[in-house]
Amino acid sequence: MNAKANKNQVTSIEPAYYQAITEAIRKEAVQILKDETVVGVVGYLPGRRKGTASPALVTTVEEAEKLIFSPACVNNLSVYLTKAKKGVLKQGKVGIVAKGCDMRALAGLMTESQLQREDLFIIGVVCPGVYGFGVERTGTLTEANIARKCRECTVHMPEGSDVAAGTHTELADLTPEEAEEMARIEAMPQAERWAFWKEHFSRCIRCMACRQVCPFCYCEQCLCDKNRPQAVESSPRPAGNMAWHLVRAMHLAGRCGGCAECERVCPMDIPLNLLNRRMAQELKELYDFEAGLTPVEKGPLNEYKENDDQSFIK
Amino acid sequence: MSRIGVFVCHCGENISRTVDVEQVAKAAGEIPGVAYSCDYKYMCSDPGQTLLKKAVAEHKLDGVLVAACSPRMHEKTFRKAAEAAGLNPYLCEMANIREHCSWVHEDRDMATAKAKDIVKLMVERVRKGKSLAPITVPVTKRALVIGGGIAGIQAALDVADAGHHVIMVERDPSIGGHMAQLSETFPTLDCSQCIMTPKMVDVANHPNITLYTYSEIEKVEGYIGNFQVTVKHKARSVDESKCTGCGVCMTKCPKKKIPNEFDQGHGMRPAIYVPFPQAVPNTPVIDRENCTMFQSGKCGVCAKVCGPGAVDYEQKDTFTVEDVGAIVVATGFKLYTIDRKPEGSPIQGYGEFGYGTIPDIIDGMTFERLASASGPTGGKILRPSDGKEPKQVVFIQCVGSRAREKGISYCSKVCCMYTAKHTMLYHHKVHDGQAYVFFMDARTPGKGYDEFWRRAVEEEEAVYIRGMVSRMYQRGDKIVVMGSDIQVGTQVEIEADLVVLATAVQPQDGADLLAQKLGISYDKYNFYSEAHAKLKPVECATAGIYLAGACQGPKDIPDTVSQASAAAAKVMTLFAKDKLERDPVVAKVNEKYCVGCFACKKVCAYGAIEEKEIRDRQGNLVKKVAYVNPGVCGGCGTCQATCPSKSIELDGYTDEQIMAMIEAL
Repeated sequence: MNAKANKNQVTSIEPAYYQAITEAIRKEAVQILKDETVVGVVGYLPGRRKGTASPALVTTVEEAEKLIFSPACVNNLSVYLTKAKKGVLKQGKVGIVAKGCDMRALAGLMTESQLQREDLFIIGVVCPGVYGFGVERTGTLTEANIARKCRECTVHMPEGSDVAAGTHTELADLTPEEAEEMARIEAMPQAERWAFWKEHFSRCIRCMACRQVCPFCYCEQCLCDKNRPQAVESSPRPAGNMAWHLVRAMHLAGRCGGCAECERVCPMDIPLNLLNRRMAQELKELYDFEAGLTPVEKGPLNEYKENDDQSFIK
Repeated sequence: MSRIGVFVCHCGENISRTVDVEQVAKAAGEIPGVAYSCDYKYMCSDPGQTLLKKAVAEHKLDGVLVAACSPRMHEKTFRKAAEAAGLNPYLCEMANIREHCSWVHEDRDMATAKAKDIVKLMVERVRKGKSLAPITVPVTKRALVIGGGIAGIQAALDVADAGHHVIMVERDPSIGGHMAQLSETFPTLDCSQCIMTPKMVDVANHPNITLYTYSEIEKVEGYIGNFQVTVKHKARSVDESKCTGCGVCMTKCPKKKIPNEFDQGHGMRPAIYVPFPQAVPNTPVIDRENCTMFQSGKCGVCAKVCGPGAVDYEQKDTFTVEDVGAIVVATGFKLYTIDRKPEGSPIQGYGEFGYGTIPDIIDGMTFERLASASGPTGGKILRPSDGKEPKQVVFIQCVGSRAREKGISYCSKVCCMYTAKHTMLYHHKVHDGQAYVFFMDARTPGKGYDEFWRRAVEEEEAVYIRGMVSRMYQRGDKIVVMGSDIQVGTQVEIEADLVVLATAVQPQDGADLLAQKLGISYDKYNFYSEAHAKLKPVECATAGIYLAGACQGPKDIPDTVSQASAAAAKVMTLFAKDKLERDPVVAKVNEKYCVGCFACKKVCAYGAIEEKEIRDRQGNLVKKVAYVNPGVCGGCGTCQATCPSKSIELDGYTDEQIMAMIEAL
């Protein structure tokens, strides 16, 4: 694939490229399972329906040979190392297939003492993009079906991984739909912006899928589930909905890796990643901080520096 | 249902002037769960406290709320009273309707309504309050004294005499500080060194004092009763254990023309030196900046002539960690200079006095050295430029001090007195000389001080001119002093041979850095702040750290010695107990829900949070959680605010209490 040649054109990434990544992942996964570097590899297996993929923990060489990577590999697998499959890490070192955006989550989890780098073998994917949601999955990734986050990806090179699968070095220059949407909301008068979010949050059914899929929502008891004292109303009514989404956005400030899984899983199509990105923008402006691919000692909100912006003190 | 008692205080008229206290008490009585309410003129008085105790017994109260002043003022008082009445003291809270209400409002109705609200929400806090038991921590009965001037020496000797071990850390090669530099002291004109050096020797010989000179504080950890202080021992290049203090190295050192700091740069010293003959310890130090051996690698004379082989060019800085229970900070002062200040500095120099380029304009400390028998001139008053005896000397007070336009607005306190002393010393040594003093006003509060000043004016022939000096410049070998005499209303011009400036007293260099290591507060000039200007003048707001001497503000010797002894008394009070009781308002972790993200550990300013492993019965690690060391926790609540799952809480300020308070509004 020559992505450079495709610049400023409609992207079209052939299945062959994904096939190459798949081969590379399989080779690595088989190798590390064979030499017992790891006890298992968290990756993707083909889904039951054609053209889908589902997250899986493979522990044998036979299974590892079935691992795949395709535009349908949308999930952020880091969540399987913390809450979803909590026991996995206790058996020993684990391999994980990670796209750039997933690696930011891994780095954040290391920063927050939830993971140790030495417990992981990271198979980084040089990811050319994945499908968006509600789009036609044609087998070929095009501008028509690529995810919004992938249009503005800055982390497709998985720096800091143990091995990298894939060779794609430059992404096509696509219209930054999400950034344009952010700018549009930013330009709204305050009342209109308030109404925009109010409308979105009013639809929330509090299914908590956003929380369930978020790698950073690893608390054993969520603050929003507490009832003594109750901080956030738990039934899906406007006030509690608003409170929940604001708490979620605040708690992700300076942590969110931008995998946009919350937005993908939302059954009510609430554009949650817009909120996350807005918080990230705030941190960039205030503390020149961006969630990165490597762990940091302290996040910007856990640290005081003398030159911190203090204009909020009035 | 709880049985809460609400006691509303008038505070004389402080509260009742703007708040209808009767109405507040009545409204409080109607809150569900409040079994008793009343108002009283002075709740903190003995009858007020008796009233509280009686009410607890009569109405079987299980919680007490006193609506009065700030808890910083009287929380202890009322908690004691509640305890005497049989309640857990932490079930007694205060609603601040004075500082937060009556003092800041004028409208009586609005203020009364606000007071009712404050009471209402504090009742909820009492309702959700829990009995707490004080935390006890052991006390290390060793004190650290930072600074070896008269303040540090006095504090160290007092504590050591009481039988406790003291570690004294001094930055310079010798203890003694500024007092050792002075010639004679006001108001008795006794020789400074004669009264100072015996005390210095006492420090060196005291079995309870460990003296570290040429050393600095590197790091301070811990808390009251349990500090761990890392001391940096700068390389002296002379082995203290071997050196006999014979002084041969100093006489043989080929490099002898180094301005001596002790003589304010007016005498000379070799590269290997003791600052002054009576130095304690009498162990030389090599000034590596000026030593030929260190600069070019060729010389080594001192090592060759040293009998016991004490000179060690290879010596490195070393560090020791000292466990102490209390710290006395006595770092003293430095003098302001009229030099040009760096760009952007809040303090300015004196361009009108030539920015310190005129050699015969000196400061008070230099005059002390000129007048001192051990000084560079052997006690003769000779001016620096040509060594001639000055016949006309102009003294100028308030140079830098009380000069807002130069950046310092405070009074340096000692200058009026020492200038009067200088005129006397001058008059005693140069009988045909004339001293002039430019002054704003003479401030002489102190025993025998005004008499001393009157003596300078009336008997010792000093001419006091009330007015300021606007300009000074060199004309031939004279300095032209142009000033004003506001009493006569005229301009004055004096051709002086020598000018002595009473420059402002400033905190030592690096005072702010030391304060940051200690965690104590300081003002905009870097003077250290006491906990209360009147009632806690020697304590820092940080428990277990005390202040002595000019590091807190300009002070003369009697005041410094008094404060040093006061600081020592505070240390001894602390050391009188084996265990220290601490407020149990500390954070606690809900281990069930803590997921060990350690955000709390990252934000904890006290270093109180540790990682704790939870293991099952087979010893397998279940998870890691945060653990709060209650002895170290300062109860600030930052962890509580940071914890994403609210699994850490401050006793006495639980989320449940805070939420109940918000909901009550």
